[in-house]
Amino acid sequence: MSSEAATPALSLRLARRTPRLEHFVMGGAIVALVILVVLPLMSLLFGSVRGEDGLSLDHFAEVLGGRLYVTALKNSLTLGAWTGLFSTIIGLTLAWAVARTDVPAKPLLQATATLSYLSPPFLTAIAFTYLFSPNAGLINVFLRDVAGLPWLTFNIFSMPGLVLVTVMHTFPFVYLLAASALQSVDASYEEAAQILGAGKLRTAVAITGPLVAPAVLSGALLGFVNAIALFGSQAIIGLPGRIVTLPTRIYALFDYPPEYGLASALSLVFVLITITALYLQRAFLARRSYVTLAGKGSRPQLLRLGRLRFVLLGIGIVIFIVSILAPFSTLIAVSFSKSWGLDFWKGLTLANYKFILFDYDVTRRAIQNSLLLATLAATAAVLLGAVIGWIDLRTRIPGRRLLDYFALIPLGLPGIVMAVALIQFWLAMPIALYGTLAILLLAYVGRYIPLGVRAANAALRQIDPSLEESAQILGASWLTTMREVTLPLIRPGLFAGWLLVFVPVIQELSASILLFSSSSITLAVAIYNLYETGYIEPVAALAMVNMVIIGAAIWLANMIGGGRILTRGDAGTGT
Amino acid sequence: MAGITIRGLSKRFGAGAAEPAAVADLTLDIKDNQFVTLLGPSGCGKTTTLRLIAGYITPDAGTIEVAGRPLSSPQSVVPPEARGMGMVFQNYAVWPHKTVFENVVFGLKLRKLGAAAARQKVADMLALVNLSGLEKRYPGELSGGQQQRVALARSLVVEPGILLLDEPLSNLDAKLRERMRTELKEIQRRTGITFVYVTHDQAEALALSDQVAVMSVGRLQQYGTPFEVYAHPANRMVADFMGLVNLVPGKVRDIKNGVATVELMPDLAVAIARAAGLALGERVDVAVRPENIRLSAPPELPGGQRATVTSHVFLGNISEYEVTLPPGPALRVQTHPLQQFRVGDEVAIEIDSTQCSAFPRVRGEPAQA
Repeated sequence: MSSEAATPALSLRLARRTPRLEHFVMGGAIVALVILVVLPLMSLLFGSVRGEDGLSLDHFAEVLGGRLYVTALKNSLTLGAWTGLFSTIIGLTLAWAVARTDVPAKPLLQATATLSYLSPPFLTAIAFTYLFSPNAGLINVFLRDVAGLPWLTFNIFSMPGLVLVTVMHTFPFVYLLAASALQSVDASYEEAAQILGAGKLRTAVAITGPLVAPAVLSGALLGFVNAIALFGSQAIIGLPGRIVTLPTRIYALFDYPPEYGLASALSLVFVLITITALYLQRAFLARRSYVTLAGKGSRPQLLRLGRLRFVLLGIGIVIFIVSILAPFSTLIAVSFSKSWGLDFWKGLTLANYKFILFDYDVTRRAIQNSLLLATLAATAAVLLGAVIGWIDLRTRIPGRRLLDYFALIPLGLPGIVMAVALIQFWLAMPIALYGTLAILLLAYVGRYIPLGVRAANAALRQIDPSLEESAQILGASWLTTMREVTLPLIRPGLFAGWLLVFVPVIQELSASILLFSSSSITLAVAIYNLYETGYIEPVAALAMVNMVIIGAAIWLANMIGGGRILTRGDAGTGT
Repeated sequence: MAGITIRGLSKRFGAGAAEPAAVADLTLDIKDNQFVTLLGPSGCGKTTTLRLIAGYITPDAGTIEVAGRPLSSPQSVVPPEARGMGMVFQNYAVWPHKTVFENVVFGLKLRKLGAAAARQKVADMLALVNLSGLEKRYPGELSGGQQQRVALARSLVVEPGILLLDEPLSNLDAKLRERMRTELKEIQRRTGITFVYVTHDQAEALALSDQVAVMSVGRLQQYGTPFEVYAHPANRMVADFMGLVNLVPGKVRDIKNGVATVELMPDLAVAIARAAGLALGERVDVAVRPENIRLSAPPELPGGQRATVTSHVFLGNISEYEVTLPPGPALRVQTHPLQQFRVGDEVAIEIDSTQCSAFPRVRGEPAQA
């Protein structure tokens, strides 16, 4: 045996003093997390209180008192509130229809929610400007000039317009949480009320409602947090309508000369709102536990709606048309048009695709950059997540819980805040990272590290520690155990996590918009810039490229998730 | 091969002072080539002890030495991979992504054995555990018993000096468990490897072990041969855990030449040979196993202890009775199935006092366990 060779004293000393490889890997992951999240956040904090001479609260005074900032704050909260309300109405209606009624075409309703969740919100926003911009929007032109109904036109560059395009991205949060809650309420709770004489409505109000309310509220808050953080739609829809919100105000502070202090202070106010909402969301979700506890009971009876079910289906179809069909068929149509207008179909062309893919070097570079960045960021986030998850679940290192919390912080950071923090931190460092691909990579890995940690955690929980321990007792070092046992077993989970990071990175705009330079331009930034400069048709083509990449990634994820890699059974993985 | 010396071993999980120690001041000498079982109810610290021996956890106090070489102490722990031990886990822990061959050859590869030699050793080992021909199967395609053998083969093929087994048979059905039990014993005898075996099943411990260490709430209760711990339990806990037992209250009437006479009833007394620690007049509980009580049809003549049959359960290979000694306690009795009495019958009973033990009565504890 290998151990017999070593003298007792030697092996004891080895065990005690020599740092082993795993200590370097774990240390590296901790350092990475500190550099990615903790230090930038601290410089954000420091930057917000650094005055001309010494510490001061001037920036906060200005941010909380200045008209520009208060307006932005008000607009963000208004947007969030309306979005939360409409997300609840739409999400709950769909969830109730799918979970509790005999509405036809349930797969279509489910797909509507999923696709709305996956489609990049700023592309939806752009698509709607093609239809509803006050002067040139196709539908507005049709209503005014052809149908002669000018009073029916709709100006998308308004708060209602902004709420409309935002809700399409946020109602799925309510839908997903509400549907799962409605499905997991034990039918016997409702049956108990009915046998006591309560009618259907009474039962819904007194029993079902309170049981699913925490999930619905939690979904609404998630919708709120996501809504106010979306830079893309707020810039595309809000700015032309003079509706300035927190992300767009922070963005404006970087116009020359940049106001780092104010941007930091405003970012912190922003974070405070987000974290408060997320805290409430967690609290509501925690109260949901009694629904899932009883989840093994019988399933509720589906409500027979009769003719009414077609009304419900009609509502679902309208949502599908507004959130999926209209924006994407518009983007496709525009991308093949010579000139977007009422008679666009007279001049169909592939020139827009040729332009963005071959002729124009900026868009070509943007596509390459984004593919490279998304690949690297997803890989790094998942590997870091695996090490952090492993430390949390498999070691007794003091402070490992803290590490887990640090890794979750970015969930509460809007993209643009992450960018402000990174700029603050790296401008103070002797390394010139600003404007390089590297700082974008840091932003992406930092923003999406929570997804990596979650995926790795979930995968590791499936693997009984004894599988690793049995390799160890046979003489395998940490590295060998990881390579031979742990990594092969968690690979499917890690790959799913990889795609979970890849998809949002390929469409990331909120942080990129502050961090890019002409050489490090990304796909989403290129789309935004082209749109700003008025290249209507090529923008749509580039948006389609973005959609195709996302679609391919999701297709791949389904292929892998559907046909499980590990078909050999998992007899050894649990007790 | 190697013996294990454990001195004053303690381990406590969690920092709270209220948290009881998982293992408390355990001292144990496991001799070379022995089959030693750590036996006890769940939560008694047996698995923690095994994991301390394997090196997965660091002790709070005490030492573990193997063949005179210190392996564990609070200051330093040789990692599991440098101990050269083998371990079989309760859930088998057969790697689901590797074939049977890949599972078994893993340890040999780490020891840099040549491919041909390794192949031969794996084949021999699979033959030993009756798995020849299944080399290319994945664990998901094997039955529980077969997976168990893969786990065993994987640990044995590297010829460890010590093999640790954590309830390896608990997930198997009764018949298979009995067969694997015989095979384990046979393998241990043939290889001469020191087996340290954790179980909560006293029958398994009795059948397999050279020595049994009975543990409870982190402490060693008794360490001895299966016969010793069964027939002469060191305390009430061991007596109760090692099988069915009647605990009959009594009083020490007389101590002469180390033999105590304990009166159970006015007319019934037993002579306990192991009377150390008993005091004259002390209230005690006498442990009597059901098979050490004989029932017979009452003789014509008066005298002898009489009892009434109050219940009867036929269990196939034995008959179990409950008899009441008026006005005293009820006793469980096991007899040969051919010996039959009816409920309500009066019987004569006889207690084999050489197989009884007496324990001082602890205040507040019920007499009948």
